[in-house]
Amino acid sequence: MNQKKILYLTVIFWLLIFSGFIAYKEYTLRTGTEVMLKTLPVDPRDLFRGDYVILNYEISTLDMEKIPAEDSYFTYNDRIYLALELKDGYGVPKKIYRTPPENEFYIKGTVKDVLYEWETDESDLATEETIKELRIHYGIESYFVPEGRGIEIEREQRAGSKGVDVKVIVDKYGNAIIKSLLIDGKEIEF
Amino acid sequence: MLDQDLIRKWLDEGTINHAQAEKMRADLEEYKKEHRSKKQIIAFSTIGAILIGIGAILFVASNWEKIGDTVKVLLLAGSTVGIHYTGHRLKYENRKYPRLGSALLLLSALLFGASLFLIAQIYNINANNSTLVLVWLLGVFPLIYGYRSAPIAGLCSLLFYLWIGILYGERTDLNKLINIWDLYLVSGIALYFTGILHGLAENVKHAEKTFEFMGLQAVLFALFIHTFNLGGYKVEKVVPVIYAFLGILILAVLCLERFRSKLTGFQVDAGMAVISFLVAGITLTAVYSPLSEKTYTGLFNIIFLGFLILLLYAGYNTENIGIINTAMFWFIPLIFARYFDFFWELLPRSFFFILGGLVLLAISVVLERKRRELKVRFAGVRQ
Repeated sequence: MNQKKILYLTVIFWLLIFSGFIAYKEYTLRTGTEVMLKTLPVDPRDLFRGDYVILNYEISTLDMEKIPAEDSYFTYNDRIYLALELKDGYGVPKKIYRTPPENEFYIKGTVKDVLYEWETDESDLATEETIKELRIHYGIESYFVPEGRGIEIEREQRAGSKGVDVKVIVDKYGNAIIKSLLIDGKEIEF
Repeated sequence: MLDQDLIRKWLDEGTINHAQAEKMRADLEEYKKEHRSKKQIIAFSTIGAILIGIGAILFVASNWEKIGDTVKVLLLAGSTVGIHYTGHRLKYENRKYPRLGSALLLLSALLFGASLFLIAQIYNINANNSTLVLVWLLGVFPLIYGYRSAPIAGLCSLLFYLWIGILYGERTDLNKLINIWDLYLVSGIALYFTGILHGLAENVKHAEKTFEFMGLQAVLFALFIHTFNLGGYKVEKVVPVIYAFLGILILAVLCLERFRSKLTGFQVDAGMAVISFLVAGITLTAVYSPLSEKTYTGLFNIIFLGFLILLLYAGYNTENIGIINTAMFWFIPLIFARYFDFFWELLPRSFFFILGGLVLLAISVVLERKRRELKVRFAGVRQ
């Protein structure tokens, strides 16, 4: 292969990667449904992308006693599909599925931690274990902010005990993208 | 390489006359000047490219709000492609600045990563994501071979280590399988072996030294960490198998005559196979019959020290200054760490220095003997 071909192939390969990334995310943004999620943020730093706010959603912890599930056994790194019900624009957990449910609005996630509960007999020996809670990642746990602004968000939230919500777009395959961050119902702009 | 001493020797022996000696001296000086200048150009342009690349990554990380996202992406992706094209032109078409061209190709590989992270930042893809580093690695990996670029092989090695580090943090189930230092040790040996394989074929030989160097550094780093008391050494059954498998692979290449003749660093390669087998044995005991923490720490100290001495020996033997520098570089933290660990009081400290001195004297005796042997062999050839 001559050097000219290598040059063209490299440029095409790189541009395909860039546009593939953008197209994948834009598809979700343009075709998805908007939903609000409640959060609790803090602000660390990524090596390559700077300051960000860690978003811990209410739906990040699923109480298996309260939310019905298609299956009662889950392990680390299992894929789940959480059906959401929209109440005043907010997404509220409806049911946990193992496979994409039909005729449901759902968000795709991965099990990152499982909390167990043990039933004991008369002599206090564990007899049966059941799953109490699931900790889920939806791929929308980071919100990148300009340098130094993450601390401002956290400070505002702490000082005024303001609610921080996230406007998320979810496409028909359950892929989610953060659209904006809202403090006390107001979209923050940088 | 010819040097002044040799020219003087040949002149004294009458092998060459004064005119020939003068010509050789002038040519030698000219060659050295050109060689130095080439090295300076490579050093300046490569460091320049790395600095600009780091600057671009930090620019992305600052998330400057004064420029819109679309402009930022167009600016960075455009610069990536533009600089790549300029690098290609200078190296292969114009050919006036080939070294600068190589540095620009490296810069474009760094900017490719910066652009990727910019897109990921805009779409808020989760932080510390190993997949992004993997995409960066896969995106620039073909350039090692397409442009026969050793610096990009170095970049890929770094990205490989970064990827496994982030992946280890992401996948908590990996903790149960292997500890992070063993993962780096395995990766280092595997990368070193990749370097050996590259040395076997002429058209990919340019990446041999880089992969070997980067593999060796990871091996030394992981072994050095193991020389500390890490508190409990646990691995799964598959880990000793991986070490033994890597050791067998390296030995297999070294044992085949037609391959061996192509390899330049036989002693270090063999040393790497020995390290693989030794750590396979240690991890085997950790699985089936765990020893005390102190024993493991002691064993790793002996292995690390032994490997450094082997590197020094191999470096002097093959006149490879890179290997000698690497060994000397790792001797310093080892001496400091052990000094503060074990030899805090005066009496043990005196023993430490006496023992250290004795080891160095013993090495010098071995090297002196080796030098004499070489001299005798050289004299024999001349006669």
